[in-house]
Amino acid sequence: MSTLKISNLSKTYANGVKALDDVSLELENGMFGLLGPNGAGKSSLMRTLATLQEADSGTASLDDIDILNQPAELRKVLGYLPQEFGVYPRITAEQLLNHIAVLKGITNPKERKLLVRYLLDKVNLFDKRNKSVKGFSGGMKQRVGIAQALIGNPKLIIVDEPTAGLDPGERNRFYNLLADVGKEVIVILSTHIVDDVRELCTKMAIMNLGEIVYHGSPQTAIDDLKSKVYQKIVDRDQLEDYARDYKIISNKMVGGQPLIHVFSEDHPQNGFEQVTPNLEDVFFSKINTANVLV
Amino acid sequence: MFKTFFLSELKYTLKQPMVYIFMFILGLLEFFATVSDNVQVGGAIGNVYRNSPYTLTIHVTIFSIFSLLMAAAFFNNAALRDHNNEFNEILFTTPLSKPGYFFGRFLGALFISTLPLVGVFIGMLLGTSLNSIFDWIDPERFGAFNFEMFLNNYLLFVLPNMFLAGTVIFAMANKWKSTVISFVGGLVIIVAYIIAGSFSSDVDNETIAALTDMFGINTYQIETKYYTPVEKNTISPGFSGLLFMNRLIWVSVGLIVLVLSYFSFSFKQKNKKIKKAKVKASKTETVFSLPKLNPSFTGATNWQQFKSFFYTNFLSIIKSVTFKILFLFCIIILVADLSGGFEYFGLQSYPVTYKLIDSIEGNTKVFLVIITIFFSGELIWRDRDYKINEVIDATAHTSFISMAAKSLSLLSTVVILNFFFIAIGIIYQLLNGYTRIEIDVYLLDFFYSNLPLFIIFSGITILVQVLSSNKYIGYFIAVLILFVFEIILSILDVSSNMLDIANGPSLTYSDMNRFDLGLKAVLWFNLYWVLLAILAVMIAGALWNRGSKNSLLSRIKTARREVPKSYRVSIIATAMAWISVAAFVYYNTQVLNTYDSGDTREQLAADYEKKYSKYRGMATPKVTDSRYFIDIFPNKRDIHIKAELEMTNATDQPIDSIHIYNNRDWNTNLKMSNAKSVYKDDTYLFTIYKLSPALQPGEKMTLTLDSKYITKGFKNGRGSTIVVKNGSFFNNGDFLPTIGYNSGYEINDKNTRKKYDLPEKERTPELTPGVTDLHMGNYLSGKQGDFINVETVISTINSQTAIAPGSLLKKWEENGRTYFHYKTDTPSLNFYSFMSAEYEIATRKWNGIDIEIYHDEKHTINIDMMLDAVERSLKYYTKNFGPYYHKQARIIEFPRYANFAQAFPGTMPYAESFGFIINLEDETENNVIDFVIAHEMGHQWWAHQLIGAEMQGGTMLSESFSQYSANVTMKNIAKTPMKMRKFLKYDHDRYLSGRSSERIKELPLYKVENQAYIHYGKGGAIMYALQDYIGEDKVNNAMKSFLEEYRYNAPPYPSTHDFLRHLEPQVPDSLSYIVKDWFKEITLYDNRLKEATYKKLDNGKYQVKLDIETYKIKSDSLGNETRVSMNDWIDVGFFMDNDEEQLYEQKRLKFNKDKSTLTIELDSLPTKAAIDPRHILIDRVFNDNIKSLSLED
Repeated sequence: MSTLKISNLSKTYANGVKALDDVSLELENGMFGLLGPNGAGKSSLMRTLATLQEADSGTASLDDIDILNQPAELRKVLGYLPQEFGVYPRITAEQLLNHIAVLKGITNPKERKLLVRYLLDKVNLFDKRNKSVKGFSGGMKQRVGIAQALIGNPKLIIVDEPTAGLDPGERNRFYNLLADVGKEVIVILSTHIVDDVRELCTKMAIMNLGEIVYHGSPQTAIDDLKSKVYQKIVDRDQLEDYARDYKIISNKMVGGQPLIHVFSEDHPQNGFEQVTPNLEDVFFSKINTANVLV
Repeated sequence: MFKTFFLSELKYTLKQPMVYIFMFILGLLEFFATVSDNVQVGGAIGNVYRNSPYTLTIHVTIFSIFSLLMAAAFFNNAALRDHNNEFNEILFTTPLSKPGYFFGRFLGALFISTLPLVGVFIGMLLGTSLNSIFDWIDPERFGAFNFEMFLNNYLLFVLPNMFLAGTVIFAMANKWKSTVISFVGGLVIIVAYIIAGSFSSDVDNETIAALTDMFGINTYQIETKYYTPVEKNTISPGFSGLLFMNRLIWVSVGLIVLVLSYFSFSFKQKNKKIKKAKVKASKTETVFSLPKLNPSFTGATNWQQFKSFFYTNFLSIIKSVTFKILFLFCIIILVADLSGGFEYFGLQSYPVTYKLIDSIEGNTKVFLVIITIFFSGELIWRDRDYKINEVIDATAHTSFISMAAKSLSLLSTVVILNFFFIAIGIIYQLLNGYTRIEIDVYLLDFFYSNLPLFIIFSGITILVQVLSSNKYIGYFIAVLILFVFEIILSILDVSSNMLDIANGPSLTYSDMNRFDLGLKAVLWFNLYWVLLAILAVMIAGALWNRGSKNSLLSRIKTARREVPKSYRVSIIATAMAWISVAAFVYYNTQVLNTYDSGDTREQLAADYEKKYSKYRGMATPKVTDSRYFIDIFPNKRDIHIKAELEMTNATDQPIDSIHIYNNRDWNTNLKMSNAKSVYKDDTYLFTIYKLSPALQPGEKMTLTLDSKYITKGFKNGRGSTIVVKNGSFFNNGDFLPTIGYNSGYEINDKNTRKKYDLPEKERTPELTPGVTDLHMGNYLSGKQGDFINVETVISTINSQTAIAPGSLLKKWEENGRTYFHYKTDTPSLNFYSFMSAEYEIATRKWNGIDIEIYHDEKHTINIDMMLDAVERSLKYYTKNFGPYYHKQARIIEFPRYANFAQAFPGTMPYAESFGFIINLEDETENNVIDFVIAHEMGHQWWAHQLIGAEMQGGTMLSESFSQYSANVTMKNIAKTPMKMRKFLKYDHDRYLSGRSSERIKELPLYKVENQAYIHYGKGGAIMYALQDYIGEDKVNNAMKSFLEEYRYNAPPYPSTHDFLRHLEPQVPDSLSYIVKDWFKEITLYDNRLKEATYKKLDNGKYQVKLDIETYKIKSDSLGNETRVSMNDWIDVGFFMDNDEEQLYEQKRLKFNKDKSTLTIELDSLPTKAAIDPRHILIDRVFNDNIKSLSLED
């Protein structure tokens, strides 16, 4: 059982943007979802944990490895899929994975070969192993990225927006794969897609503007909102008025008309009906604390 | 629409800093070239103004090559900006007009791309005007402002060149939509330029070379080849002649490219070709299982990671398109150069290995450097460019492993290319039937020179890229460090190789001495630089930007925290090793062996003259007899000399003090009886000895000398060539002290003298008739000695033969060394050489004279020919000029550190590269060995029996006469009169192009001031013409009687007046004008055949009508030319063949007006007619002298 401890991590960029604001988290083996809108600081946190970025203050450790000061040690037990994953031109999938496997310390050529083939099969690219990766579609490239993140015996796997560009089938396959390995190691899955977290994670955190605004299990979060969320289909012209009068969590179009969700301790009447809250409501209620139209 | 795009292109680019940076760089370079002597663009300009049309044009044309890559940036941007910003899909779906868009963008870029070269104009104007305020350089070296030259340069060079390059780059950019390919396009153009340039190496192909040069650079140089300084200062390049034709041709080519590109340009995106995927029929079912993994991070892992990094990096280089294209260019250029062979006087030399090494280096190095710089950026930024950096950076490898792998893959690429070039070289040798393949020489040269160079370049460029915040800044800094830094050093007058990246002494391979000269220094310098390169890579590993981009400062902080101790220790250890090597190199090159920088030398020379010129012309005793005891130690590179010189007071006054200057690098002990040192100046190794009692007129004294040349450690340069492992060669001037005022220390250059406030100096004392004090010294040994006896005992190691002047009296072995005792048989000029090497000796006896060729065992091929040449010269000269007084005539080979042949009494050192390796199997070609040997043999009469007084015209009596002697020997073995025309062309060309780059003033032949183009070029041509006009025997008679009057005589020495006194009786009155015109004045002819027609007569004969123009031109010393009336004899003749080999019906006719029409009746019909068909007269343009005959209308 590994433990990842993050305490009071802060990072401010040169342009004044606070990417991380006193972030503290503690996680253990299993899938951990990190939800947040674009620009919330998820990638900054991921990159800091992946030893690719320095923090201004705070500490992070994986068991007895001090991540910020012993990056080389952490890298030995790290699997990382960055948000943007590109590949070299003129190199095949097999060659690329082989190269990365060497970098991850798989020195036995036989082991390496078996491993690479196993992973290629797992991500359904075995047939294309001798093709140049550069010619792959976005989804195929992403699958190569997933494969490389699993190389070695990582104790910590960090995947940043892994399902972008994957079709539903590929997404499922990926989640199965991740769930397989996630039992024994810490997997941090950063995403802005609420469904991903709901389906996979037992623990989660929501980030906004560099801060952790929620940390706990998805179900607890949903329970907290129980019978406090109401919805109504409204006229587009009246949207502004509703926004003024109610705590709007979200609005989305249904059949060409806005469907708004509002947060309220009591039943707001006025044609609203109560709904069972879902993770999306949690997400929006946590990040949309100013209750503005989004 | 056109206007919109044109203006938007200008607006966009003018807002970017790039164009201003380029303008600034070129402007700055030109500014320095204008106001500083240390910066030269395209060679020294001598007497020409700093801001002359010629200077500007040369600079603009050279800079236009550089600015090609700048143009590539502008045109590429213009073509691809919308595409790269992915704006094309939006833009191209709007209803815009194709011609407006296409030509608007193109012309906008064209205008912008000419701006950097306008920077050159600004640099020159700024330099000129600032110099008038600050006086950095003598204002006399600037001419008046000349608007025409700027305008014409812009219209003839800047605009057309950018247009042509632009069309190609713009077309390529539109076609392939790739920045890399556009830049490669820029390179293609440069390569094409270089290939065209290789055509102009011989005089014959000039017109082709002039027309094929797409930038008109060679064209301009060919057109101005014979320009006099005055013409260079006043004439701007103009819209006529070859240059204009060239411009028209290439602008049309550009237009065609542009039009083709326009029609193939389309707004639609091309459909990408989709390769059909091969469907595999059988799908194998394999079951995969996850193996048990044992990740390990040990030393072995590092090694594996290194290999894997190396492999992927290396592959990425050699698979890239840029690499393949550059590689192809290297090969094309190399093969193009090799196919021209190795030429000299229209002859081919054998493809000896060092020639191929030089060719490979000369043609491919620039590409290898480009490859190194380019791919250093590619490799360092590749992970980031392909967005895989975060994955790689987050794996457990040490950054150093990755850096080392990158450096090594860069290096391996270059190494493999080098081996490939070597293979091409060997194949070339074999194809030419040359079987002495020296793989060891190729490989050693590679390990000594190229390998270390590219280790350093790889290391440094990798570090630069790691430290810089983006790839292009990295490129810029790399170029700055590798190239510009060197220029800055030279401006600062720093010549230490320790500061100039990757520099060291240059290594020259010689068949005789192998790599021995300077090898030790080269190896130490290599070690010094390679350690620095390793250090650079280690630092790069520590500061590698891992993860997100960080500033250098924060990376240094991180490195302090993270770099493990063992790594620090290795960096420190390497740094220590480097510092120790640096200290050792410094000790050897700056402490043990000192040298002065150029400016220091100048300052010392100026100070010397100011301080001691009061002693100029002081009375000194002469050397009248000499005995030498010389020990040569080739392996230690030491020489020990003991000399006993008999000195006589040949003046009419007592001499009470002697001034003596010792030689640098020699440790000299000097003894004279009755002498006491009373003054010493160590800066100039100068001592004044007081004689008491004074040496009376006619009295003799002895000077005993004990002098040692000891090689200590190694030097900043390759060191002296006087004593080397195999092929030592020095003359008495190298070790004998100078007695009296040492005018050799003085600065000669007119402008440098001005800089140091020294009075103007005559290059040579003026020619005076009669006998004056000046006639008491000759131009070779001054007044320090006349014809004297020399006796030498010289020793060397047993495997070598040592040679001194005179007959060998005795040879013996003693103490494991071989001793030789030589003595001259006849008093000789006090100017002789000593040599030692492993020689084979070929001998022949002719009339009691031993002809001996001392040569390297590898160079046997031309030896018989050399023996023949010596014999032939002896025969002709003894018959026509008088006896030969030595008992031997020796040709002695020396290593190719210098490329000449020289005549000492009875011995003629001859460079290995100068004749021993020339291919003379084809006897119809000019036999340069016959010629050179005949020339040097000529000196045995003209210099060593009779030598000119130390005044103007002195060298005519030796150099022009030897040139004449050689030319008539050649004439006597030439089978046709036309053969000599081919040969004399080199004399004509040497003269005409030499006068064009004269730095001070041109003089008539009889007043030549040791100017090679006059005494060899003009002298050879004029003397040959003279014998053609008055007869060979007449000229020989004059020379013979002149020789008889002065042969081996004590002073006074003769001047050219004395020769003309002997010549004039031999010249018939009808031709007396030629002595005045050719010898005493500067006269040129401008003859041309305007029209040549024929008609068949009824009697079966042919009547030929020739319209001829003949002008005689007189020139003053600066090249101002005026036409004068003429009344001269000129040949008219015909050729029966197109190749102008069969001369027919040549007649010498008198021309007394500018235009004449001749009607001549001939028996047979010739192909061509010509005025001066054998090219006897000096004619600036000879091509227009010959015309094919056409049928009269």
